[in-house]
Parts: sequence; structure tokens; C-alpha cells
Amino acid sequence: MRVYYKATYTYKIYRSLESEFRNFVSTLGEIVAYGIEFLRGLRDFPTTFTEIMNQSSRFAISSLPITLSIVGMTSIIVAMQVAGEMVKQGGGNYVGMLISILMVREEAVIMSGFAIISMIGSSLASEIATMKVTEQIDAISVLHVNPVHYLFTPRVVAGTIMMPIVVVIASAVGILGGAIASNIVSGLSYKAFFDSVWFGLNMHDLNVCIMKSVAFGFVITLISCSCGMAARDGAKGVGIATTKAVVWSFVAIVILDLIFAAAFFY
Amino acid sequence: MGIEVKNLVKSFDKKIILDDISFKVDDGKILSIVGFSGSGKSTVLKLISGLLEKDSGDIITTGGDIAMVFQYSALFDSLNVFDNISFALQERKDLRGKYTRKELEKIVAEKLELVGLSGIEEKFPSELSGGMQKRVSFARAIVTEPKIILYDEPTAGLDPISSTLIEDYIVRLKNETHAASIVVTHQMSTIRRTADSVLMLYNGHAVFQGTPEELCREETPYTRQFVEAAIDGPMKMN
Repeated sequence: MRVYYKATYTYKIYRSLESEFRNFVSTLGEIVAYGIEFLRGLRDFPTTFTEIMNQSSRFAISSLPITLSIVGMTSIIVAMQVAGEMVKQGGGNYVGMLISILMVREEAVIMSGFAIISMIGSSLASEIATMKVTEQIDAISVLHVNPVHYLFTPRVVAGTIMMPIVVVIASAVGILGGAIASNIVSGLSYKAFFDSVWFGLNMHDLNVCIMKSVAFGFVITLISCSCGMAARDGAKGVGIATTKAVVWSFVAIVILDLIFAAAFFY
Repeated sequence: MGIEVKNLVKSFDKKIILDDISFKVDDGKILSIVGFSGSGKSTVLKLISGLLEKDSGDIITTGGDIAMVFQYSALFDSLNVFDNISFALQERKDLRGKYTRKELEKIVAEKLELVGLSGIEEKFPSELSGGMQKRVSFARAIVTEPKIILYDEPTAGLDPISSTLIEDYIVRLKNETHAASIVVTHQMSTIRRTADSVLMLYNGHAVFQGTPEELCREETPYTRQFVEAAIDGPMKMN
């Protein structure tokens, strides 16, 4: 005789947590496996310069206006809030330093990361997921072409190359935005602002910024492509893959940011 | 010998989809696999093409390429017809760089002519009708001169005239390539017009193997139900 027990709320919570944990482990496993497969394919470099340029232009042209707007506005907001106060307290000579350090070390790269995830990461994930659910990935496999090598290589390479370029431009725009806002809000001269930029900012900051943006570009594109590739179950699967790509990329770059901060500035 | 499948078994999550399936298709012959949705027909094609791993059994082929035509064509929508058809010749590791642009253009033109679609190299899949997309996918499949061609419901979603055209091209490709072909279908017209032999699957088992004439003639409950498209019979829809 079978005995059925009514599931308690505690048990239901436990089961849903267990299911979330399983999903987490399986997604992490998929990303790692696709990452290894991508790196293995790099030996033959299965793509062309034209294809990398196509992906790079998609990266730069479609993401740059939004990225620059976000970073520029963030910088203006920060300047509006601190510049006036610092000038009043006699710290006007440090406003440029503060804004530039904030931009180069943190804001430009993390805000660019968020913008790139929203625009490029989600687009990569949904593109590859759609190919997966419409059997285009199967068609690539049947034609004896490795879909991971073929699809990941131009996208991940373009992302890794373009992210530092986007971040450098965004940092410059952020510092400029800060200078303009400081001048308007507190009357701080441009000379005073830019003289103070180099008080605290040095080559180490720029190097770390570039290293961090390379890592962000690689991780965002790899996670997005992997989530797309792991999609299943039709249109619903495309939506799930896109959401997963965005969430995982957000979490990954914040963790990476923490690691970089601990490694280079602690 | 084209392809021989012996005692093929495949299950998903402990549910057996194919149980001890065996069949043989000679070069230049067409086998139609029929059965209800979910009876494992497409799984057979995916196992032969290597998209899925079998649990047990043997799949023996003559060697050479295996091509597959997908149910909804599966053309690469970001590439034009030329790049779709020449995809394997441009991207396959062992073929990359082997052909010049001129040679690729010649090969693609030949394949397009074979499926009656000359001059559409620059068009994108979204600019083509369902029937044309299907024929482009035929051209893509045969570009590497395969020895085995697998068709997954090639007439699905097409009007009767386009279906007849597709059936004619399946026979034409068989004659041109002399490849062993397997056609998964639901339609009696496709069986009658293309098949040399028929395999009927139900619940993972082969319930009929024979010629199309035998399928129509044989008085087993399974074949009767299928040919007459009857709701009542031994085969139950899930």
C-alpha cells in the first residue's frame, strides 16, 4: 500500500531551492564546457577578419551611443552632487581627480558592461537561441562544422577587442561630462578640473581599466553565446536563454569587478 | 550497401523511444519512415546523422557524407542563398580554402539548377517561399556529394502542388546522386511517389516493413488504420 504525504511549505521551499541550485550548477557547467570548446577551437581560428569586423561594428555602432549616454550622464550626476560641495569646502582642486578616478577605475567599465549586456549580450543570446530552436545549429553540425567554433569565435573575439575601446571612449566622455557639469554647477574652471585629473590618476589605473574591460568583454560574450547555445523548448526557450544571459553576465561582471578591486586596489 | 541499422535502441529520461529497430537502405533507394507524431521517426534521422547518441545497436554506413534536410529547412537566415549552399565548402575544416570564389559560384549554380532555382544566389531566406526554402535546403544538403540523404518531413507545411514538386525533386536527387535516402513523412502521397520501401513505427517498435504496395494491400490492423487514417485502431494518439 502506498502512503502519500502532504508536502509541507518547508518541503516545497526546499524543493524549489534545490531546483534553483541544480539550474545554477547546470548553467555554470554549460558555460564552462562551451568556454573550453571555444578555446580549443581558437587553435584553428575558424573565422575571418571580415566576420570579426562585422561583429565588431555591431558591438561598437549599436552600443556606443547608449553606453556613452549612460556613462556621460552618470558622471554629470556625480559631478552635480559633489562638485558644489567640494568647492564650498575648499576641495575644488580635487574634483577632477575624484571624477576621473571614479570613471576610470569603476563607473565607465561597469556602466559600459551593463549597457553592453543589455544591448549586445541579450542580442547574441537571442540570436543563437533562435538558431538553436529553429534547428540551424543542428544544420551546422550536420554539415560537419563545429557550431561553437563557428558562432563563438567572431563574437567573443570581437567582444574582447571592442570592449576596451568602448570603455576608453566612455571614460573620456565621462571625465568630459564631469568637467562640464562641475563648471556649470560650481563654476570650477576647466583648467583646475583637468589639472587635478592627474593628481590621483596614473597609468596603473588605465592598465587595470583596460585589463578589466578585456575580461568583461570576454565574459559577457562567452556567457551570452553559451546561454543561447543551451536554449531549448521553442520561443519560451529563447526568452529564458536571453534572461539567463543577462542575469549571469550582470552577476559575472560584478564578481569580476570585486576580484579586480581586491587584486589591484586593496 | 547504403545504410544498415541493427537493433537500434534510444531512450530519453528512461522513456524508450526506439526499441530494437533494424532496417537497411541500399544505394539509390528511398526508405520512408512513417508513424504518429512522437513515434521516434525524427529520432532515427538524428541518430544516423550523429546529432544524437544511440543507447545501443549499430548504424553501419558506406562512408562519405551524410546530409540532412530539416523539417522547416533550417536555412541560415543571416546568410544569402549562395552562402547557405556553399556553407560546408567555406566553413568545414577539411574544405576551408580549397575552393576559389569562381569554383564556389560554379558549384552553387549547378546545385541551384538541379533544384530548379537558378539565379537566386543573392536572395536571403526570408525573401523565398516555403517551397523554395525547402529546395535551397536540398541544394545545401547535396553540395558535398553525400552518400546518404535524410529528409525530415520534407513536405510539412507546403501546399499540395509544392509538395508534389518536392517529392519529384527527392526522386530526382536520388537518381542524380545515387545516394541512399530516408524520408520521414506523414503523407501517403509522399510514400507513393518516392518510396521504394516503408518502415512504420509505433511506440518505439517497427510494426510494418515492406513496399508501398504492401502497405496499401496488407490487412494488418496497424497498416489499415494508417492507410485509412482511422481514429479507431491499435494505434492510440498520446
